[in-house]
Amino acid sequence: MKEHRITVRGDAANLPALTAFLQDFWSRAGLPAAAAATFELALEEVFMNVAMHGSRADAQPRVEVSLALVDGGVSLIIEDDGPAFDPLALAAPDVTASLESRPVGGLGVFLVRQMMDGVGYQRLGGCNQLRMTKHLPGNAGAGAGSADLSKRPGEMG
Amino acid sequence: MSNATFDIRRGASGEAVLAGRLDATQCDAALKFLNEIPDLRAIDLGALEYIASAGLRVMLLTQKRCKAAGAAVRLINVKPPVHDIFRYAGFDQIFEISAAG
Repeated sequence: MKEHRITVRGDAANLPALTAFLQDFWSRAGLPAAAAATFELALEEVFMNVAMHGSRADAQPRVEVSLALVDGGVSLIIEDDGPAFDPLALAAPDVTASLESRPVGGLGVFLVRQMMDGVGYQRLGGCNQLRMTKHLPGNAGAGAGSADLSKRPGEMG
Repeated sequence: MSNATFDIRRGASGEAVLAGRLDATQCDAALKFLNEIPDLRAIDLGALEYIASAGLRVMLLTQKRCKAAGAAVRLINVKPPVHDIFRYAGFDQIFEISAAG
């Protein structure tokens, strides 16, 4: 199992299934538990954006999520066949604004950009594709096997 | 990483106590619960494992409501991973946040 993939409809009700999918990948790969939350957050933010804004009147987009071990880290790719939308083109929210003038939305993609090492968007074959990567430090916490992902064999679990 | 579900209740001193994962599927229930506490002064996050932007929205709306009613709400016992998210979002400027002891 080198890559891990799931496809769901872009319906908010599918978020728990995606989170479970990510957690399953994480524990099978023996990755440091403390680093999972960053990917859980990225998955939630991007998926919820697609679920809330990517639906046409007659159809919810199809969303494919792939996780893979890459050199020293993990990549998360989220692809949907909804209308073209580049979340990275959104203006960053003002996180220094006063309480009164602070908007209550728009933080999701901002958080993802802050927490991931790399985030890239492309429109590919009629789909939106967002690719996120983050290096995981070998001493980040949990258990044996988390030391150096680049030296892990291709098969695991 | 945790499979914990989400729980919200009142603590012994009237604070709201949140536990588990406050993800997008739990936010409506959390906001409704918090909105029904008129004199809310503190939210105990000592057992909160995970929050994302939908949960931040709940905190922000609650702070706006409480400040408008005259007294800010504090976030107490905040664990490091959740505290990091608050910092990224600039919440340390609009909440008094105290870390888990």
